[in-house]
Amino acid sequence: MSLLTSHARIVRHEFGTSLEELSRSGHRGTLTSHRDYLDVVVAGRNILKVFAIEEEAFVEKVNLRVGRRTSVNYSCSDVAWHQLDDNLLATAATNGAVVTWNLSRSSRNKQELLFAEHKRTVNKVCFHQAELHTLLSGSQDGSMKCFDLRRKDSVCTFNGQSESVRDVQFSPRDYFAFAASFENGNVQLWDLRRSDRCERMFTAHNGPVFSCDWHPEDRGWLATGGRDKMVKVWDMASARPRELFCVQTIASVARVKWRPERRYHLATCSMMVDHTINVWDVRRPFIPFAAFEEHRDVTTGIAWRLPHDPHLLLSGAKDCTLFQHIFKDAKRPADRANPEALCFGPRGDVAFAAKEGLSANDPARRALPGDRRNPFFFIRKAPEPYDASLTQQHSGSVCSVLNVFQRCDAKEKLNPLENESESFVELAQRYCLAGRPFAELCDHNARIAMELCRHQVAQTWLILKLLYAGGDASPSPALLPNGGIFCGKDGSSGLGGDGMSERGKSEGHGDGGLEEPNEETEGSDVENLTASVGLYAAAAGLYSGNGEEERLELLDQDTTTSDFPEFSLPPEAFALRHEIVDGPAGLEHLQTNGPDGPGSGDEDGTDEGMRSACQGKVGGSTAGLGITAAESVSLISVSQPLFGQTLPPEVFAPAVIAMLEFYAERGDVQSTVSTLIVLGEKASGGVDTLVQEHWYLSYLELLQRFRLWDVATQVIRLSTCAAISALNHDSTSLNLNCSSCRRALGAKGWLCDRCRRCASVCAVCHHAVKGLFVWCQGCSHGGHLKHMHDWLSASPHCPTGCGHLCEYT
Amino acid sequence: MIHDAQMDYYGTRLATCSSDRSVKIFDIKNGSQILAADLRGHEGPVWQVAWAHPMFGNVLASCSYDRKVIIWKEEGGTWDRLYEYDGHDSSVNSVSWASHEFGLLLACGSSDGSISVLSCLGDGTWEPHKISNAHTIGCNAVSWAPAVIPGTLMDAPSGPKSTPVKRFVSGGCDNLIKIWREEDGQWAEEKKMEAHSDWVRDVAWAPSIGLPSGTIASCSQDGRVFIWTCDDPAGGSWTPKLLHKFGDVVWHVSWSITGNILAVSGGDNKVSLWKESTDGQWKCVSDVNKGQGISSGPDETRPEQ
Repeated sequence: MSLLTSHARIVRHEFGTSLEELSRSGHRGTLTSHRDYLDVVVAGRNILKVFAIEEEAFVEKVNLRVGRRTSVNYSCSDVAWHQLDDNLLATAATNGAVVTWNLSRSSRNKQELLFAEHKRTVNKVCFHQAELHTLLSGSQDGSMKCFDLRRKDSVCTFNGQSESVRDVQFSPRDYFAFAASFENGNVQLWDLRRSDRCERMFTAHNGPVFSCDWHPEDRGWLATGGRDKMVKVWDMASARPRELFCVQTIASVARVKWRPERRYHLATCSMMVDHTINVWDVRRPFIPFAAFEEHRDVTTGIAWRLPHDPHLLLSGAKDCTLFQHIFKDAKRPADRANPEALCFGPRGDVAFAAKEGLSANDPARRALPGDRRNPFFFIRKAPEPYDASLTQQHSGSVCSVLNVFQRCDAKEKLNPLENESESFVELAQRYCLAGRPFAELCDHNARIAMELCRHQVAQTWLILKLLYAGGDASPSPALLPNGGIFCGKDGSSGLGGDGMSERGKSEGHGDGGLEEPNEETEGSDVENLTASVGLYAAAAGLYSGNGEEERLELLDQDTTTSDFPEFSLPPEAFALRHEIVDGPAGLEHLQTNGPDGPGSGDEDGTDEGMRSACQGKVGGSTAGLGITAAESVSLISVSQPLFGQTLPPEVFAPAVIAMLEFYAERGDVQSTVSTLIVLGEKASGGVDTLVQEHWYLSYLELLQRFRLWDVATQVIRLSTCAAISALNHDSTSLNLNCSSCRRALGAKGWLCDRCRRCASVCAVCHHAVKGLFVWCQGCSHGGHLKHMHDWLSASPHCPTGCGHLCEYT
Repeated sequence: MIHDAQMDYYGTRLATCSSDRSVKIFDIKNGSQILAADLRGHEGPVWQVAWAHPMFGNVLASCSYDRKVIIWKEEGGTWDRLYEYDGHDSSVNSVSWASHEFGLLLACGSSDGSISVLSCLGDGTWEPHKISNAHTIGCNAVSWAPAVIPGTLMDAPSGPKSTPVKRFVSGGCDNLIKIWREEDGQWAEEKKMEAHSDWVRDVAWAPSIGLPSGTIASCSQDGRVFIWTCDDPAGGSWTPKLLHKFGDVVWHVSWSITGNILAVSGGDNKVSLWKESTDGQWKCVSDVNKGQGISSGPDETRPEQ
């Protein structure tokens, strides 16, 4: 006897304290609990004992197997305790004997009667609930016998006319009715008074029906469990037995027992594989409601301890243990089961399946679109009601509905972030990465980014152009004058240390202005919807309106206060660089807000950019301002030297690298790689090749996800990374066969060694093929793409007449 | 009841699995879903499905309450069982494919507390590696790290290119999140992370598209979602950041392909999307209310005692 520490209330009994006894107790067939519900009888091949259930243990009361001789009559396959008489027990033996026991006998041998009428194993014995003397047995020999305990032999025999009887159960509601289940899958309903034929018979399972159990309350509900791993609940009250529920378990069902006081619950145990005792809610057909996993071997018997207490379950198993389970300790697989599914698709759509409530059929309840206060919302795409259960009206609580939410179109809400994936594809396809002068590429790409409302990216392209192409090829005049003016002014003074401190000082000022730019942002948002490239260029130039004047003043101050000589510019540029590196962090929000900067105060913006970068607290649209400002810093910093003096591009390379890293960090690896490619040698030196490689690989991965193979190839071709370019050389060799003799061609080219003929002859026009050549992999014949296409659209056979049915895909 | 839905690599197919033992595959075309296949083979509720990288063909793994993991492959329009693994002693709760660089490599987490890593040996045979006692009481979720941990690249600028380390993260009923790493063919626990106060329901390692640091999202029965970040290339130190505390169990976390948006679904039948702002704060950027859950009705699914 031992007590499980982890489940203090589960009483566990191991048979015997010594190994010797354990091995003798071997297998136990079944058990029933006593009417007083304090005792339990355990029966098995080598055991027949009554135990008292005490607080923390089972205590052996009586051992019914007495004497030295071990009669096969005592090798039990089933045991039943009479509902009315505390002392009356019946056992079924494997040799066909049915034995009754009277516990009140004073002698050690409590055996009372022995019926040796069945020829084969008796699988089941069952007492009538109300009759004291009526006992029913079901045997492997296919018959059921009814015994009157006052007589020495059976009262009547019911012949099932089929294979072995696995279970017999008196109906608790109908006095004379009992159900029997058979090995061939049938269930029969009998009347005690008619032994010639059954009242009703139907096929319940595919394969043996091992167990059946009447519902304790619902009249006519019969649960059956079979080897087909199913538990079915039948309505026997109707004219034809109707299947009410079907529970699918993961192993064949050996025992079924309704749970007291819970209308839809029943407990099952399995015959093999599965050692757990499962309690099912029959309305929930696939996942057990509760599971007891204490047994280490197959559970052979289960019994609810009290007829009106759903919390105590007794079980015995082949692992020689007897357990009393407390329901609270059960595992709840159904609760544990995940009721929701969520998946983020590559195109930014979200698939979501959730449990459907009972009232879901109500048409008034509809999926609400997302909360519009948030930047993205979704529309529900083609609702797909998905019945996971075998839609029975009771099982409404276990259905799921699968929805795929798609990002809303940007029509309603002109937000550049909408449909990120579509713009990704657009950009990937339309970006021009090579083949034109640098400035043109930048312009082209900026225009495309602009069209797709990717203002920040567009701006980046323009700035890059400014940086590296010197601005002279600029097609947007608005940009140059603006930039020029400032650069002229600044150029002489430089953006010195004072300028920096000035900016630092105005941080306080920026604080005050926090509200204001906020509003401005919104205002400019709307404005920006109509923003054209012209406005945009102004944004790139950055100084307009009040901001411009303010800035001018500031710069004037700079001029007066700054004593720095001109040649100190390079270090200043470096000092600035630090700011730039920080600055881009603030850029994040630009995308959500569109280009705002132009109408707003530049100084405020700058400060805010700094602030958001430094303090990292300005979120949302507010930071949007800072972004342009931050961009402006980089613009100023680099455009000044550009026009004021001629500096080598290395000076601003760090800023560019910071830009690349910024985009990458934000997940916009597309911008990173695209600019990297366009910049080519200009920037690649500054970035570690492994990092570049990672960027390239990430971008290629994305392109492949969107099936943009051609773009991916182009990127590979244009990449400056050796490792990436090498990707194009992977698995590119083709082995060819000569079209006339089918011998493999060597490395020599198109001349076949053996037949000395040119292998690359078109099968249709018999000319050598230059350019696209298409072959059939089956017969090695081929030719001009167009010729082959024309030919095969008319005939499925090879044009050479070799008889092969060519397949060109 | 659907337990999991996964879109394939291209987003053109959706696999769902349900407690009715079925795995269904839908083609998503022009905004509608057409049932393309219904895979039958499991004998219990199917908890999770996972698509392998398309370079291996259409390969799908599913795991079930029946203690089995089935790997399915589509050939010529029909789905067949490629492999069936039954090495677990209890329900298998989670499956996840490793990045394609590692070949066909599948991690399975089970209620028996162990995690199996199945690798395809190329000749059609599969080799299981079992990590016993990974999580006491049970493992609920597994997720692989991307093949390239960016941190290792950034911080080792000139070092020789090392072979990528196989790592995955798991979450279990012991409220822990563990990171596992392969060393000489053996799986060893690299890191144990504790923040949740109840069962960890899902973990998701973010894809590393350009991101400089490793990121893991985890959600739990306690309603909290944590974002774990690691800037240390050796993977030594992970810092948790509370994304949000939801009012109910959080079942799933899922990253967008670029790894910058996190979708979270909770017991209130809501999906919310989260994005990290400049200053490292996570902000809710979208809120999809199913509007048809049990939110407004009485809670009819309360467990009966």
